[in-house]
Amino acid sequence: MMGPRVTPETAASEGLESLMCRYQQADEEAASALIGRVSPLLFRYFLVQASNRRYADDLLQETWMRIHKARHAYRRGEPALPWIFAIARHTGLDHYRKARRFETREKQVAVLPEPAAANPDPPREGPDLDTILAALPERQREVIVMLKISGMTIDEVARATSSSAGSVKQKAHRAYQKLREVFSAGRRMR
Amino acid sequence: MTSGEMDKILAKAADRALPRGAEAAAIGRVEGAILKDLRPVRPLAPAWVFTLSFVALFAAAAAASASALGMHGLPVLSGLQRGLIFPALLATAWLAAAACTRAMSPAAGSRLGGAALVLAVGVFPIVFALVFHDYDARNLVREGIPCLVAGLCVAIPTGLAIAWILRRGFVLDWSAAGIAAGALSGLAGLTMLELHCANLKAIHVIVWHVAVVLVSGMLGLGIGSIAGAARRRAVSQPC
Repeated sequence: MMGPRVTPETAASEGLESLMCRYQQADEEAASALIGRVSPLLFRYFLVQASNRRYADDLLQETWMRIHKARHAYRRGEPALPWIFAIARHTGLDHYRKARRFETREKQVAVLPEPAAANPDPPREGPDLDTILAALPERQREVIVMLKISGMTIDEVARATSSSAGSVKQKAHRAYQKLREVFSAGRRMR
Repeated sequence: MTSGEMDKILAKAADRALPRGAEAAAIGRVEGAILKDLRPVRPLAPAWVFTLSFVALFAAAAAASASALGMHGLPVLSGLQRGLIFPALLATAWLAAAACTRAMSPAAGSRLGGAALVLAVGVFPIVFALVFHDYDARNLVREGIPCLVAGLCVAIPTGLAIAWILRRGFVLDWSAAGIAAGALSGLAGLTMLELHCANLKAIHVIVWHVAVVLVSGMLGLGIGSIAGAARRRAVSQPC
């Protein structure tokens, strides 16, 4: 029996889990709605991790190719966002490992010219994201990015990272302690 | 500084660094590629179906191989020994089966394979020390090697069958899947030995029978790591 037809309007208000099930049944509207709703979150996640627009584009595409290949492994009723982010996380890790492999093999054959002096940055209100996140160890940074940048819940982050909610809470708590020290030091400097 | 204030600083910094809508072109490309290749797929069966299948495979492998080799161990075990050993084996196998099921799907929960292996290698020496009291260590190696070999001869094909089922899903972490599969197949080998081996010397059972689980788990980890590295290399090849 066929399910009810999904229009773009209904797809926009549907849960990700329901969209995921319809995507498994090859529903084009549901697939488009899912891509449209999840991609901005994934893109922000990758942009923070990679700090490079082109890498973020590549990682987004690679992640969706893997999601497409793995879509049969999504089980009805399971939270969809952690499922997608678990794949995104592994895609990022694979690219990171590959980049490191290339870096260790690369040899500089010529001395690079001195880069031109950068224009002074316009005055900012508050520290920039790179500075904030650079203060954190990798695992704490990942948790903070998922919680605060991608807007996931603690349980969703725990599922996406294959760890427990307690461990995620602990990492977030330690990250906040560290950030509190960084912000306090910044205020004293000013 | 409160957590709320820090949340605001983070949100402002994120909005400045990550402008919304910058990903529109990339989304268009993704959508084009996916819609072009959109076909219906059959979702994985519920998790309990796979867990039950893995436990059934474990039990079938152990029972069939023990029947083939001869059930010389079962008749010489007392009621207490049977009552302690076999339920402990079943419980640990259930845990390892659940770990295999979790490895098949992304974000299916925390990894249990390592826990199952540590539990098997840590708990069974205690269980065996409680139920076997003959601590004679003569001919330890000569009597032990055939048991280790027989246990691994059961564990390896069982592990291959588990890997075949694992491929039905989408394994993200092949090392974790390898440990889980190795632990479960090692437990099948250990169960076969408890049914087949009539040697009830405590040291023999603790060292050589438990070694089947340890070696199988390590083999699973090694093969899983190699499979994971090969898959990563295949995925990251430029088109």
